[in-house]
Amino acid sequence: MKYTAKKIVLMLVTMILVSFLTYTAFELVSGDPAQAMLGTEATPARLAALREELGLNRPFLIRYFSWLGGLFTGNLGVSFSYKLPVWQLIAPKIEVTLWLCLISFILITVISLPLGIWSYRRSGKIWDFMHTAFNQLCMAIPPFFIGILLSWGFGIVLRVFTPGNLPDLHAHFFDAIRYLFFAAVCLAIPRSAMTVRMMRSTVIGEMEQAYVRTAISRGNDRRAVLTRHVLKNSLVPVVTFLGQTMAELIGGSIVVEQVFGIPGLGRFLVASISNRDYPVVQAIVVILAFWVVLTGTAADLVNQRIDPRLRLEGKR
Amino acid sequence: MKKKFLATALVLAMALTLFAGCGKSAPAEPAGTSSAGTSSAGNEPAPAAAHADEINIGIAQDLDDSLDPHYAVAAGTKEIMFNVFEGLVKPTPEGNLMPAVASDYTVSEDGLTYDFILRDGIKFHNGDEVEMEDVLYSIERNMGSDGNEALIPALEAIKDMKADGSKLTITLDEPVPELLNYLTLAILPADYDKQDTAPVGTGPYKFVSRVAQDNIVMERFDDYWGEPAKIGKVTFHVVEKIESMLLGLQGGSIDLCMHLTSTQTAQLSDGFNIEEGSMNLVQALYLNNAVAPFDNVLVRQALSYGIDKQGIIDLAFDGFGIPLGTSMFPSFAKYYDDSLTDYYPYDPAKAKELLKEAGFPDGFSMEITVPSNYQPHVDAAQVIVEQLKEIGVTAKINPIEWESWLNDVYGNRQFQSTITGLTSDNMTARKLLERFRSDMPNNFTNYNNADYDELAKAAIVSTNDEEQTALYRQMEKNLTENAANVYIQDMADLVAVRKGLSGLTFYPLYVLDVSTLYWAE
Repeated sequence: MKYTAKKIVLMLVTMILVSFLTYTAFELVSGDPAQAMLGTEATPARLAALREELGLNRPFLIRYFSWLGGLFTGNLGVSFSYKLPVWQLIAPKIEVTLWLCLISFILITVISLPLGIWSYRRSGKIWDFMHTAFNQLCMAIPPFFIGILLSWGFGIVLRVFTPGNLPDLHAHFFDAIRYLFFAAVCLAIPRSAMTVRMMRSTVIGEMEQAYVRTAISRGNDRRAVLTRHVLKNSLVPVVTFLGQTMAELIGGSIVVEQVFGIPGLGRFLVASISNRDYPVVQAIVVILAFWVVLTGTAADLVNQRIDPRLRLEGKR
Repeated sequence: MKKKFLATALVLAMALTLFAGCGKSAPAEPAGTSSAGTSSAGNEPAPAAAHADEINIGIAQDLDDSLDPHYAVAAGTKEIMFNVFEGLVKPTPEGNLMPAVASDYTVSEDGLTYDFILRDGIKFHNGDEVEMEDVLYSIERNMGSDGNEALIPALEAIKDMKADGSKLTITLDEPVPELLNYLTLAILPADYDKQDTAPVGTGPYKFVSRVAQDNIVMERFDDYWGEPAKIGKVTFHVVEKIESMLLGLQGGSIDLCMHLTSTQTAQLSDGFNIEEGSMNLVQALYLNNAVAPFDNVLVRQALSYGIDKQGIIDLAFDGFGIPLGTSMFPSFAKYYDDSLTDYYPYDPAKAKELLKEAGFPDGFSMEITVPSNYQPHVDAAQVIVEQLKEIGVTAKINPIEWESWLNDVYGNRQFQSTITGLTSDNMTARKLLERFRSDMPNNFTNYNNADYDELAKAAIVSTNDEEQTALYRQMEKNLTENAANVYIQDMADLVAVRKGLSGLTFYPLYVLDVSTLYWAE
């Protein structure tokens, strides 16, 4: 209970801090939303009228706190650019991005955990070299490039999906998921490579531990030791890493969403930043902060299930 | 070892394909060949033929703006919403005006009285008939009658508007020869307050929906007064990455895309026709005439001699583009003076001489501020930097975000030189030329020339079209002679059009008319 309370407080503090920092950052960068909206048509009188309308004339702190007040009463404000309630604009984007990240996360887990163990068991000079080379390659290719390759190969040559046309998630669920699958693959590749490497090195490290030597010297099967003891111990850092992965997938999704033309949160964030559409940016930033804290907490909880020692620490 | 690796890779690849196929029962046939039309996975129809009554258009910028045509400012928004709105009169592809919401109009001899006849039975997209009240409301809204600054300052000359049945009489204080051009302003229903998110007009297409950073959908307006649009449904897809745009075109999700460059169109297969128009803008190296060394006319002239516009067009634009010599482009044929284009032929020796005379025998350093998201401007800047080295001028490019550009360069005039394209949203020379009058709030280049100010004032109040045109031409000449800016080109506008799609019409304005497009067969 105490643990949960602590986490919730941490989450709130993080979100408020992040939102304050972004608000400040916008105050500092050049570019005024009213000017951005009026463009080359701006005249001093029109600018002044629009600033008034958007409430930009009020002092910085007052603006921030009234926004914060709105946040707690569930009012995220109205987008400067689209003149529509922010929530109405971002809700469908959140859905799309969540699906994208979820598929990608499943892929990473399904691919990299078995592959990590398997790659540990195939050791040897040539194999090590091949493994490292392949791994480095996967980490080094930018998702942008993989995205173009996949779109071209599966979209244009094989016509498995139509690039640039994400089917509606509700009306054509499976078509949409298939479309998102390719974007998810391209998001998952570099991250999987990292996870495999991580898994492999933790297993190697763990296998050198004294308890493993003892277990084997007492006549246990190597394989049994690996599955029964070593894996459990190796999982803790990997789960933490996967938690971070879950958080970072959203960051990676920005590029992938642009390449595949997926109307997601990342793409919307970038566009809103350049439009200086503060209400939208603030809302998305807070959601992302929430997401990061949430995934971290989820990883902690899973780790506590795996490793009882962590549970004790949590209770202290 | 190697075999195993290969086997694993194959298994993995197969697993991926399985995953891919699991959405539908029909698995992805590895057809290998790219014969268009065999959409084996079958979630999308083959391009062309199948969507005869539909068209998908790719746009690089979202309509992230008010959709209210009186308040929308982004060129990209106006370009698309052209299909939704009409004024009393509307522009034709030839650059003339034709009656729209008004079925007829007459202008009195002295240019002070305009009579419009409201078109009989014309309807808004919401089904209501257009009433005289709506027309008055729409015009008044742009005159600043609500206490705000006039959205169209020229309309302040309107003294009185009188409605008599279906006849509207507008009287002016003084003649405004280009008044009709301003009356292309959209006629909107008077009692409707959702114009900025769900706009209603009288155009050939009605607005259906907009999803932020995703798409905009329009449908044919069946009660349109004029020739109905040929295609029933239009979807504009927002695709900001050009690589994705090209993939979308190739993959069949986009049928038409404007504003491409020659490098981009070269990547498209032969499934497309490339049509060439012009952007109708004045791309130039705009100089801040108030800061040294550009406050010296000799220096400005030296730059004009030292920059080879054809060289820029050839190198950075594959030869597509029309070189310009002043703030006017050829589509405005009435005002365009071609003799000014080569007023400063490329001549580095002459440029050096002028610099010497101006007191810069060893050249100088300068900064070119460029909005970094407009690749054509960045490309032109790069060529200019190289060309200026010839005459001893060291130029540095300062790339900034568009919003910062608006703020620092356009708004606060904190810059030395910049490359951008200036355009006009109606077919008058005024918009392009008046901005260089010394007392104009949008004179961001700080051009200050007494003769020019005189000409501009005379041109605006001139009642005679011929005289006015002559004055505008003199203004252009003044800009050239004083080398107000280093003029580069009117950029080419390459449009990729899927084969089978016809009817693309270019306007001398930045608009895309969808109503003339149709699928052959």
